[in-house]
Amino acid sequence: MDPEPGIGFEDLRLGDEFRSPGRTITETDIVLFAGLSGDYNVIHTDAEHMKSSLFGERIAHGLLVLSIQQGLLERAMPSRARESCVGLKWKFKGPVKIGDTLHVRARISAKQDTDKPDWGLVTVEREVVNQLGDVVQAGETQHLVGRRTS
Amino acid sequence: MTVTREYYFEDIEVGKVLETPAITITEAHVAMFTGLSEVRVSEPHAVQDLLPLCLSSGLGWRIPQPPTVILAFMGFDWSFMKPVRVGDTIRSSSRTVAKRLIKEGGVVIEDRRILNQRGEIIQAGKLTLLVARRPAE
Repeated sequence: MDPEPGIGFEDLRLGDEFRSPGRTITETDIVLFAGLSGDYNVIHTDAEHMKSSLFGERIAHGLLVLSIQQGLLERAMPSRARESCVGLKWKFKGPVKIGDTLHVRARISAKQDTDKPDWGLVTVEREVVNQLGDVVQAGETQHLVGRRTS
Repeated sequence: MTVTREYYFEDIEVGKVLETPAITITEAHVAMFTGLSEVRVSEPHAVQDLLPLCLSSGLGWRIPQPPTVILAFMGFDWSFMKPVRVGDTIRSSSRTVAKRLIKEGGVVIEDRRILNQRGEIIQAGKLTLLVARRPAE
């Protein structure tokens, strides 16, 4: 199978910024993620219990929001021809509730050579922002990206 | 006598290793994860990088001990060492490396490794969790 057409390490520039489309988080997203992951923690699944909690209602799984932001950002960033994610540093800063609408702001914050001549290391800083402008999650991901084969 | 139904900050032992049951990653997991997150895979039988981590959170709940009262997931620092393929069977091994009290509860730092059926570490890192303190009697 031919690799998907996509860009190489050379095409990503330091400081390039990207903004994803928005996505509203629904109860369905949370129920499906509980079923997929097997994480039925009451903070995501018990509406009555959560009325008296710190958050006042069920909140989305942190890893659900992390997964959704990855999908959102893939819609906004050019696809890389060859890539693998090697590292992730992440902070969950605030709750995401049913009905919140999120988008992702991202920036290429570092580009480095690696010991493999046809691969470079790209660092992407990301912030997940809700409809009020609050940053609910933030962090950075590191990707090995193939250089264009000439 | 009251049977303890939940683990609190006070019950967590630093240094204790917890091993989860294993789960085989199927095409159904990959397809469901794509449907939910829109994160696609680029070749047949590939698995999204984030899927094993998501599955490991559910595996943690299947350890035969009372569930820990986790109030929030605060953050993590994670490395992806080896690719995972459909058909691989993963499990997770975790160890509490530090705990401390803050105003909102107890902060627990956990070292987690996800291993495949050959015992190779595919992903690993440190997770920071906010755990409830045992309520006063």
